[in-house]
Amino acid sequence: MARALARHWGALVVFGAAALVPIVVRDAYFLDSLVLILLWGALSAAWNVAGGYAGQVSIGHASFFGIGAYSAALLGARWQQSPWLGMLVGIALSLAAGAAIGYLSNRLKGPYFALSTIAFSQVLLIVASRWRAFTSGSEGIPVPFRPGFATLGLGHVAWVYLALAVAVLYWGIQVWLEHSRFGYRLAGVREDEDAAQALGIPARRLKVIAVTASAALTSVCGTLWAQYVGFVDPFYVFSVDLSVRFALNTIIGGMGTALGPFLGSILITSLETYLRATLSGVKSGFTGIYLIVYGVVLILVVRFVPDGLAGVAGRLRARRARAHA
Amino acid sequence: MSATALLSLERVTKRFGGLTAVREVSVEVRAGDLLGIIGPNGAGKTTLFNVIAGYYRADEGRVVFDGHDITGRPAHAIAGLGLTRTFQIVKPFGNLSVLDNVMIGALTRLASTREARAEAERVIAVCGLGPHAVARARALPLGLRKRLEVARALATRPRLLLLDEVMAGLNPTELGGMIDLVRRLHADGLTLVVIEHIMAAMMRLAQRIVMLHHGEKIAEGTPREIASDRRVIDAYLGEEFVLAEA
Repeated sequence: MARALARHWGALVVFGAAALVPIVVRDAYFLDSLVLILLWGALSAAWNVAGGYAGQVSIGHASFFGIGAYSAALLGARWQQSPWLGMLVGIALSLAAGAAIGYLSNRLKGPYFALSTIAFSQVLLIVASRWRAFTSGSEGIPVPFRPGFATLGLGHVAWVYLALAVAVLYWGIQVWLEHSRFGYRLAGVREDEDAAQALGIPARRLKVIAVTASAALTSVCGTLWAQYVGFVDPFYVFSVDLSVRFALNTIIGGMGTALGPFLGSILITSLETYLRATLSGVKSGFTGIYLIVYGVVLILVVRFVPDGLAGVAGRLRARRARAHA
Repeated sequence: MSATALLSLERVTKRFGGLTAVREVSVEVRAGDLLGIIGPNGAGKTTLFNVIAGYYRADEGRVVFDGHDITGRPAHAIAGLGLTRTFQIVKPFGNLSVLDNVMIGALTRLASTREARAEAERVIAVCGLGPHAVARARALPLGLRKRLEVARALATRPRLLLLDEVMAGLNPTELGGMIDLVRRLHADGLTLVVIEHIMAAMMRLAQRIVMLHHGEKIAEGTPREIASDRRVIDAYLGEEFVLAEA
C-alpha cells in the first residue's frame, strides 16, 4: 500500500486536489474550467491507449468523440431517451468504427495511418453536416437540459465529481496497461512488431483491440461533453483541432504514461482558458494567438523534455534515488 | 522423412518477382541438433529463416514443425508452437529496459507478470546480462543487444531456436562468450539452427552444416565434410581457408 502510494503520488496530488476544490471553491467559472480539464484529460488518456501504449498515433479521434456526442444528443432530442442509453449506443458505434480504424492500422503505418484517421473524421463531419433531416446539419443540435442524474442534468459540483470519476477510471486503465500481461505485450508491439511476433504475440490483434478500446473510451467522454456543454456542433465535434488536442495534451504530458495526459490537459486547458479570457478584449485579430502559444509550448516540450512532463517527474525521481544510493 | 525430425523443410521455394531467393530447399532438423547454415551474402539464408518462422510465405513446398504443417501460418502462431528466431539486424524493444524486454518473451508461456519477471531474471543471468537488467535496451552496445536478442527468444522457452548471425560484429571476447552461450544452450537440450559467416565459430559449433548458394542447397554434411567439399570451397570458403585449416 505504501509502495503504491509512493509510486502514484503524482496522481494522488492531481486527483486529490480536484476532489477538494469544489469543497472550497464555489466560483462557477473556475469549476467549469476544472470539469473541462478533467474531461480533456480523460479524453487524452483514452487517446493515449492507442497513441501512447499501442503506438498507433491517430489524428482522427474526434470521430469517436463526435459519435458519442451525437448518439446521446440525437436520442435525447429526437426520442427523449436517456443520455446513458445514448452513451451505450455511442460505445457500440465507436467499437465498430474503432475496429475498422484499428484494422486499417495493420495496412497503413505511421503518417499514413494518421492521415487516414483524419480522413475518417472528415467523412463523419460531412455526413453530420449534410444529413440535415436527421442531424439538423450544420446548425447543430441543442441538448435538452433536464435536471437529474438519469438525464445528466447536473450542477457544476456534481459535474466535477462525475468528470473526476471518469478521469480516475481512465487513469486506472492506463496503470493496468503498465502492469498487466496485455500491457507488456502491447508495449512490445509498439516497440517492434516483427520482434513481438517472434515472441508469439499476435501483434495485429493487439493493435486492433487497443484502438477499439481507445475509441470506446473516447466516445463515452464525447457523450458526457455533449451533455455538459448542451450543444453539439458538427464542425466542432468532428474537427481536426479536437483530434490534435487529444494528441497534443498527451505528447506534452508524456506519451505512454498514466498521468501524462492529465498533466498535459492541466497545462494546456488552463493556458487556453487564461489566454482566451485575457485576450478576448483585445483587438479581434489577437483571438487566435493562443494557437501560437500552443505551438511554442509544443516546440519547447519536444525540444527539451521529449518524454513529456511525466518524464520530467520520472527523471527527478531517478536522480533522487541515485542521490540516496 | 525420418520420424524424429523436429523441423523438416520439403522442397521450399520463395520467389521475389523474377528472383528465386530460395529454390527447392529440403532440410531436416532432428531434436537436439545444432545445424549451421552458411553461404555467401544473398544466398537466401535469412529468407529461409523468414519462411520457416512465418515472416514470408513459401511459394512452393512445405514446412513441418513437430508434426504441424506450419506453411503459411502467421509468425506469432509459429512462435506459440515453440519455434522462434532472432533477427540479424537486432530488434530490441528500444525504449524498454532489458528486464522488460525479456519479460515480454517470458509472458508468452506465463500468465502472471510476477512469474514472468522471475523467469526473465533467470534467463538474463544465464545470458550474462545481469548487470544491465535495468538499462534501456537502446542504450546497450551491439554485443549486448545481440545477447538480449537471444535472451528474449529464450524466455519464450522455445524447442527450436533460429539464430540469425548473432555473432556478427562482435569483438573476440564477446564472440567467445556467445559461442559458450550457444554451446551451453545446446548442451541443455535446445535444438538450434544457426546462420553464421564466421567459419571458425561454425566449425567449432555445428554438428552438421548446410551450404546455400544462389538460393539452392549445394552441400550438406559435417563441418569436416563441408570444409573439404569442392563446391563449397569454390563458392564460399576459398582456397586460403582450406590452407589455413590444414
